[in-house]
Amino acid sequence: MDRGEKGLQEVKFKVFRYDPDKKDGKGFQTYTVPVSKGMTVLQGLMYIKEKLDQTLSMRFSCRMATCGSCGMTINGLPRLACYTLIQELKTRTIVVEPLRNFPVIKDLATDFEEFFSKHRSVNPYLIRIDTHEQEKSNVSYTQSDEEVEKYLQFAYCIKCGLCYAACPVVATDKQFLGPQALAQLYRYLADSRDEGGEERLRPLSDGHSLLRCHFAASCSQVCPKGVDPALAIQLLRRELFLRG
Amino acid sequence: MAGVGVSVVVNALKTWLIPLRYGVERWSYTLQRVSGVAITLYFVAHVVETGNVVGGAGVWSVPPYEFAEMVWNETKTFLANPLFDAGLALLAFMIFFHTVNGVRLVLAHFGIILGKPTRPEYPYRAASMSKAQRGVFWLSVLLAVAAMVYALDVFFKVLQL
Repeated sequence: MDRGEKGLQEVKFKVFRYDPDKKDGKGFQTYTVPVSKGMTVLQGLMYIKEKLDQTLSMRFSCRMATCGSCGMTINGLPRLACYTLIQELKTRTIVVEPLRNFPVIKDLATDFEEFFSKHRSVNPYLIRIDTHEQEKSNVSYTQSDEEVEKYLQFAYCIKCGLCYAACPVVATDKQFLGPQALAQLYRYLADSRDEGGEERLRPLSDGHSLLRCHFAASCSQVCPKGVDPALAIQLLRRELFLRG
Repeated sequence: MAGVGVSVVVNALKTWLIPLRYGVERWSYTLQRVSGVAITLYFVAHVVETGNVVGGAGVWSVPPYEFAEMVWNETKTFLANPLFDAGLALLAFMIFFHTVNGVRLVLAHFGIILGKPTRPEYPYRAASMSKAQRGVFWLSVLLAVAAMVYALDVFFKVLQL
């Protein structure tokens, strides 16, 4: 490991620990990790897991900000561990905690069941009136560039849950669908191939699912893929007001 | 179960009252909520306080004029201290901020002062954080500060040399 680079030689990782099978509850454990140039927080955690403490639990897979598995709270903000360079944090101690607004399973691994069930509840697929034609079609649904731009950025969502963890409304209202699910709802509503229309909007008028959003826009600030859930939610609101 | 309830309340207060590390929109969210609660509490206290002049809850049996005058003078004496004056100055900030920021939120909810969806290209710039929307936020802060300074001047003559 090349440690001759400028900057930090080593950092302290203050990692949240929780084991449901032990009685000593929750707490933090500190590890010292040698740093090399270009090292990510995920690599630091993997160093801990391989060399220092095999009992540390976390979730990760692709290591390139594509799978959305390694979301965690790093120095107080929800971030992807694989997409966060240790150097860019500019601190000697990195505090790593599980994502907020998600139940903790063990250490840094959180339960996404509620998050995914909200995602499923918005019917994240194209709805066509003629389902036979949709299943057996032998023609393409063509779209202009303008039509694609209306929803494309929302289709970049990797379901990492960072927006859901950043949202202050999700923290207090479990009926609120959250930025991820609502952005996906808008992604399909804005798609010119979709014919869901009012069927998609009707469940949103209950005062909780959509209307509890107060535009704190923290979701858009933490998204690692350039999705703008806050924009999608406001545009969805407009649709609900005008068409619902 | 009590432990779960406490942790929910603690988490709620943390997310409401600690807007650090996010952008100005999170500050707007926190200030809007805190000012909303403060204005509501003030409104209730204001109604109770002025209602006392005409006999409080027994308002339907109108008290004699002397009684109303006495209560009015007592209330004025009670409220005439720097703590309440400072509170009113703070309330001037909150009312102006809450009103103008409320208009900003209504406009944002209709997507009027936000950008349009575009292809996400690195470095990503969220269209919801448009200059127009942030401009109205800072306008609300500016007007609120001006209102507070005016109120401070009324009570403490801060602008007079």
